[in-house]
This record gives sequence, C-alpha cells and structure tokens, in this order.
Amino acid sequence: MGSELNLESAESSWTGGWFSWTRQSDVMLRNVEKKILSCLKTAYKRFYVDIGSVVGQSDKIWTISLNDESPKTPLVLLHGMGAGLALWCPNLDAFAATRPVYAIDLLGFGRSSRPKFACDAMKAEAQWVESVEEWRREVNLAQFILLGHSLGGYIATAYAIKYPERVRHLVLADPWGFTERPANAYEKAQLPLWVRAVATAVQPLNPLWAVRAAGPAGRWLVSKTRPDISRKYNGYVPDADTVIPEYIYQCNSQTPSGESAFHTLMTGFGWAKNPMMRRLDQLDPALPITVLYGSRSWVDNSSGQVILEHRGHTNTYVQVINGAGHHVYLDKPDLFNKFVLEACSRADMRDPRDARAILPAPPSTAQATPSSQAPPSTHAAIEQAPPSEPSAPAQSTPPS
Amino acid sequence: MNLSFAGCGFLGIYHVGVAVCFKKYAPHLLLGKISGASFGALSACCLLCDLPIGEITTDVLRVVSEARAGSLGPFSPSFNIQNVLLEGMQKYLPHDVHKIVSGKLHISLTRVYDGKNVIVSEFPTREDLLQALLASCFVPVFSGLLPPRFHGIRYMDGGFSDNLPVLDENTITVSPFCGESDICPRDLSSQLFHVNLANTSIELSKQNMNRFARILFPPKPEVLSNMCKQGFDDALRFLHRNNMISCTRCLAVQSTFQLQDVLDDTTYEYDPDCEECKTHRQDALVDDLPDTVMTIFQNAIDSANNGIVNWVMRQRAMRYLTLLTLPYRVPIDIMYATFTNCVADRVETHAVQYKVAANILVRKKRCIRHNNYMTRFVTCTPKMSKSLWKLSLNTLQQLHGFMYATHDRSEAAARIYYKLTMGDGKMDANDGRQLDRRRASEFRITYGDMRTTHDDVDTFEHILNVTSHNEALLAYYYLDGENKMKMTEIYDVTDADTDAVQSPMERDVNKQLEFDNDWSGELIADDDDFDMEAMDDDALADRNIFSDPESEWNARRSMSHSDSDGDQPESDRRGPYIELA
Repeated sequence: MGSELNLESAESSWTGGWFSWTRQSDVMLRNVEKKILSCLKTAYKRFYVDIGSVVGQSDKIWTISLNDESPKTPLVLLHGMGAGLALWCPNLDAFAATRPVYAIDLLGFGRSSRPKFACDAMKAEAQWVESVEEWRREVNLAQFILLGHSLGGYIATAYAIKYPERVRHLVLADPWGFTERPANAYEKAQLPLWVRAVATAVQPLNPLWAVRAAGPAGRWLVSKTRPDISRKYNGYVPDADTVIPEYIYQCNSQTPSGESAFHTLMTGFGWAKNPMMRRLDQLDPALPITVLYGSRSWVDNSSGQVILEHRGHTNTYVQVINGAGHHVYLDKPDLFNKFVLEACSRADMRDPRDARAILPAPPSTAQATPSSQAPPSTHAAIEQAPPSEPSAPAQSTPPS
Repeated sequence: MNLSFAGCGFLGIYHVGVAVCFKKYAPHLLLGKISGASFGALSACCLLCDLPIGEITTDVLRVVSEARAGSLGPFSPSFNIQNVLLEGMQKYLPHDVHKIVSGKLHISLTRVYDGKNVIVSEFPTREDLLQALLASCFVPVFSGLLPPRFHGIRYMDGGFSDNLPVLDENTITVSPFCGESDICPRDLSSQLFHVNLANTSIELSKQNMNRFARILFPPKPEVLSNMCKQGFDDALRFLHRNNMISCTRCLAVQSTFQLQDVLDDTTYEYDPDCEECKTHRQDALVDDLPDTVMTIFQNAIDSANNGIVNWVMRQRAMRYLTLLTLPYRVPIDIMYATFTNCVADRVETHAVQYKVAANILVRKKRCIRHNNYMTRFVTCTPKMSKSLWKLSLNTLQQLHGFMYATHDRSEAAARIYYKLTMGDGKMDANDGRQLDRRRASEFRITYGDMRTTHDDVDTFEHILNVTSHNEALLAYYYLDGENKMKMTEIYDVTDADTDAVQSPMERDVNKQLEFDNDWSGELIADDDDFDMEAMDDDALADRNIFSDPESEWNARRSMSHSDSDGDQPESDRRGPYIELA
C-alpha cells in the first residue's frame, strides 16, 4: 500500500502488456488527476487507504483529504457512476473552508482497486457499504456528514441504513436508485421492433461498454458525447477540453468491476433492483437528510417529495436547484455549495440523536480493533500538495 | 427570459404543443428573444409573428402527409422538403416579418466550409429571413445536394453544430428528446446515461431511439397528435412547477417590475391571495390542448384512416405488396420527378422570357414587382403545376396592367418623369436585371438605394416628424384582447405641407437619418401595427387585385413617387388624419 500507483491493476493481460487496446495507463490517470486537482486552492493530501480483504484480496481506496486538522465534523464525498474524486474539484475548496473534507474513489472506480463484486444485487450493495465502513475505520472518523451523488447517493443511503450512528447528516445529490421501476408493459407495445431489438442486445452489456470497445478512440468518444461536462470545468481546470475527457476515459477504461457491480444493482434500463423507496422506513427517522435535485435532471425528482412525505418535514430538506441537470455539483456549483454548507451547519448545530446516546463505543476503541494497522496519518503515503507546488515527490516516499 | 427550441425535424410538432401552452398561459415569456435551429427556428419565427396555431398545425400536417406519400417516404425524389417549407413560409409569414423578428429571432446555422456555428439575428429583408430559415432546415442529401446560401456563404442545418442555442443563463430550453432540458418529455425510464449531441442532451433510452428515427421519417398523424399533446403537457408542467402561471392582472404587475430589476433568479413569486391566479392555476392543471388544434389533428387522423382506399392499404397483404413493388415504383418515381423538373424548368424559363417581353411592352412599375418575385432558390427544384399557375397569373396581371395603362396615360408620363429625376439609370439597371433573377443579393442593393433616394411622404420618418412637431388632437391608450398595450394618437395634418414638415433643413436631417443603417430596423420593428392599409386610397387597392401583399406595397410606393413629383404632399389628399396605431 501507499505507493502512488496501484500496482496490482497493472498486471496481466493475455498479451503480457505489450498491446493495450484501450490505451489505459495508471501513470496517465495519476497525472491527469493531478492536473485537475492543481486548480484547488486548499492544501490537500492524496493517499491509498488499505482496507484489507473486503471484496478482493487486499483492497485499497484512493482518497483525497483537505483541511483534516479541523476539529469539526468531516464531510465525506462519494462520487457517481463512472466518475472519480477529481470531478469534485469545483466544490472541494468551498467545503474545506470550514471542515475536513474527504473524497474517495469508490471501490471499483477511479484509482481504487477493482475487485470482482458479488453477482447478487444485495450482496454487491453490502460489499460497497462494507468497503466504505472499513475505509472509515482506517481513516479513523467517528462520525461524518455523508454526501453522495447519483450511485454514490444510493451507496450513501445504504450505508446510513446499516451504520446510522456514523452518519451525522446524509446529503443526497440527485441520488440514483430511489424510485420503483414502473410497470411498462404498455410502453413496450408502442415501440417498433428494431428499437426493442437494439435494447435487448445492449441490455447485458456494462453501461460504459462503448467507451472500452472504442479502444484508442475512447477519449475522443467521451469528448464528443459529453462535451458539456468538459465545458463546465472550463472555469476551473486549465485546458479542461482535453484533460476532463482523458480523466473520465482513464477512469472507465480499466477493468469495469464497479460498473459490473452497478449493472448487478440495476434491472431493466437503469432501474434499481432494490429501490430505496422500499427501504425508507429502515432509515433512522432521526437522521437528518438533505436531498438536492437539479431541475433539469432525468433522475425523477418526485422521489424527493415522497421522501419528504415519508419522513416528515422535521429533519428532511428537499431542494431543487433551478437550471441544473444531473451533475448538480457541477452545473450550479455556487448554489450547490451553499446548500451543502447549510446542511453541514445544521449538522453542526445539534445531533438530534445525541440525547439517545446511540453511539455504542467511543470511536478510538472502534478504530483500535483492526489489528496492526498504523494510525492513518502515518500509514498512508501522504502527498502534501501545497497550491504553489502541486507536483510533490509522491513516489519518492517509500512504501510502508 | 429567453426561449430556445431544439431542432428536431418532423418531431417539431412537439414545439407546436409547447407554443400553444405558452400562448395560453405564459404570453409574457414570448416577449424576449427566441432562438432555435432547424424546425426549432421555424417554430420560433411563427411564435414571434404570433401566427394562428391552427393554420401552422395544418401546414405541418400537410408537409407530413406529403412526406409520407412518396414511394421512399421523405426520401422520394418527388418530395422536396425545401420547396414545401418555402411554400408554407411564403403563405403564412406576414410581409413585414423581417421587421418583426429582427433582433429577437436567433437562428442557429452551420457554416459548411468549416463546420462552425453561426447565430443570425438581423434580417434586412424578408428574403433574407426566409433564406436563413431554409438554410437552417437544410440536411445534406435529405434536402438536396447543394446547401443554400445566406449572404453569399453556404450554410446548413444548425443542428450539426449547435442544436439548442442558449443565449444566456435564463434560457428555457425546449427539446422533444428526453434529456436535461427544461421542457422535454419525461419518459418512464430512469436511464442513467445520456449523451450531449450538438448541445442537446439526449438520454439513451428506447423512446429516444424511436424518436431519433422520427426526425426524418414522419410518423402517423396519431403519433404526431400525441407528441403535440405531450409538448403541451410538458410545457404546462414546467410553468406550473416554476410558478409562472398567474392571471393577466398579476402578470401585468410583474412585467412592469421586471423592466427595472435584472432577473437573476428564475422563480416567480405569485400572489397567493389573488383569487383569479388560483383559479387560473387550477384550470391549467386539468387543461388539455385547445379544441381548435385537436380538431385539426382529428381530421388528419380520420382522413388517414377512413375511406375504402385507406382500409385496403392497411391490410397486411397490401402492405407486403407495396413493399415488394418498391423496386419497381422507385425508378418510376425518379423518372417522373426528373421529367416534371425538366418540364417545369422549361416552363419557367419561358415564363421569365414572357415576363421580360411583357415588361418591355408595358414598361410599368411592375418591373419592380417582378424583380421582387424571387421565388426560386438555388436548391429548389420547381414543380410544374406551380410554375404554370404562376405563368397564368402573370398573364392576367400583364393584361390587367396593359388595360390600365391605356386608360391612364397621364400617370405614366408622370412616372417616366420621375424616373428621369431619379437619374443614375437605376431603373434601367433594374430592367436589365430582370433576366438575372437569381442574383438576388445584388438586386437587393439597388432596391435599397431606390428606397432611400426617394423622399417618400409616406415613410415612417415623415410620420415621426409630424408626430414630433405637432400636438396630438387625441391620444388614448388601451389594452387589447391579448393584453398588449396599444397606443393611438390622432394628428391633424391638414397643414402638413408647411415648413413644419418640408423645410430643407429637415429634409437634410431626414436624409442623414436614412443613411444611418441602425435606425430603420429598430424603429419600425417596434411599431408592429403600422397600418398601411388605412392609408391606401381606393384606386390603388383596385388596381392591385392580383398581386401579393408585398408587391402591392411596392406598387403603392411607386405610386406615391409620382404624386410627390407634383410637389403636393399626399397627406393633403388622403384626408386630414394620420392614425398611428
């Protein structure tokens, strides 16, 4: 652990690495990520957190932390499907101004390890939740504010169901997987044969199969199909038009293990097998939740109303951000940051569950249990990146 | 608040539904700029001109039925989309449409030679506007081989570079594809992925795949009707969610306040106490497409389904038969189309020759009119029947003009005199250019020059002059049926021929004004209801029974030249009042 490169993933293709169709390279991904993060004004650390064998043999989660000296409740960010932690760059500075901020690449995405997840939807979901929990234990956080976007929102909710005592406040940004799949027998009858044929052919494939199939043209494909994303980073990242597609492409051209797991979670065309709507009552009723939707988003924002009705207005806040699409944090970063910070300050004010003393054990003991791990501040190869000198000699740090 | 319509070919019927809803519930949103590409630009133009939705729907359905009729659907050689569109535009767009939409309508075009996006918003003449709209609807191969020119440069469909031109932050985007637009269908799918093609976000879903095929292959009238309804519902939902529906009175109050402060947040506060607003909003919730539009759709559906022929065609065996005979029908279709094109071309050349001859004989002001005809564009292949019709119409006009000329020698003399005073051989140049009707741009220059040289008594600046120097006898303001503020001032101009109007100094001032290019577009565009008809005298109206509105306008102008030649202001004879409405 602790090396800047995730060496395991570089092993073994059947051509022995001589030929790579997808042009995937860890070095490239690292450099591109560094380039994107160079726009941050707050000093940050990046490191692998070894979470042991949760899904694979030894899984590592790539983490960035900002302002981790601050005593306030930390904020943990979970990205969406096919994204990576660097895409939070319009928001990290604003969040880190008041509190510690951690953003991770979910297991199976970005620069984290890519183990093979279970083929059962509930098991895959539990594996993801466990990986986040293990990560929390390694990083030694007692309680945090959990923010998830899209798929990250789904995992965050699942995490909050399982470990409610760890979550001070749950922030969901355009979360995926809440609504039930509607019975669409009627709709099927209307569509012509060829549409149904194409849909059936595509169904078993992973969502981003085209990016990998395109091979050398993958980056071009990303930049052509989603020019809007790179355009929105233009104000933040220098030459976003090339850097962002490269980053997204590099994140998704590796073994698609997170993607497969996501594919296991869903049924039909993008619906969740076990939608969160069914499990809303398993959420701690006292846990405060903030849901942020983009007004243009395709994620059905009526689910916000359902959550609101289900849980009552006392500790649920639903906010629709006008003019924003699915990537709320990116489309209207200022408004989004404002709403998240408001949620954070609500979380700071009081924990409604304090009175009930729900915490089973002090966090220090909880953290001491996982055997021989060194404390987090030393166990990770820490890359100090002051804004003036972003290219800190990270590799030179000896792996522990 | 601006609007933006996505280009979408035959899916454009969705925009019609949206337009109906906006007209009914949020007319204040139509006051800003409207942008669009392809069919979106057409709908934007229709909205800005406030054309009756029923007629537009009929026209769209007509185009669709023509497109579905050919052997290869819209790809049949006998179906020429550019022609069909042009016909529709010539028919429905008002003659001063370029003044209405200049500065408001933003058309997205793709420059052919470098593929860059160009947004056009100024249209000096009506032809310019039509040309830009046609260029914006030009899909290579589908519409023709050579893209049309606009101001000398070839352009094609704006959908290739920017399908949903967004002018600023507060733009409401309308797109018939489910995706991340403000007004778009919300499919019953929670698909996680969407692509962004030419600035239009399109979700990767089955329904959108189906819609994509409909861009060039129009569906049945039933499907179109559903699409239109969907547009109406989606727009209504958007308005409702953003609290944009309120009663007309509250709307008026809002718009007065919006003039002053900048709109940065798009949420509208509506007055919860206003009962009228409440009922209005509740009505809107259960509302559906208006009956006028629905009946049109119903008629189209009926005509496509009823009748013995349609019944026979619907049978399965018949469908297979049509499919099997396709290889035989296509060559016949191609031959037929080639033949008609050839013949029509021949007829048209003859028509031109005939017109030239007639003009030499009669030597009338009609020269101007014919120059202005400009119906053929580079890419359009004409249809025989239409050319024949025009030819016969022209014959009639010529006869009429000839008859009239024999009647009225004195007037002709005055006109010739006027030509001489105008000098510079401009008229001759015009005559010569008669043959060269395709070089429209050059012609336009001459046309413009003529216009400024004449010190026309009927022009806008004259009226402006009168109104600024004289006190109005009577002025009143009122709200008309569509809640537009109208102002009417009545002036006494019986003594308008005195120095107040005609002093040399003021003429100079006027001339300076005229050569300033900026003024005319803006000032005239503001004054939508500048009523030419009211100032017309009967003799003129009588004489132009065959002409289309625009040429009538020309004729009237040339008429007034001859009048002013006698140094007698027309205002004197026309009656003592100018009405500015």
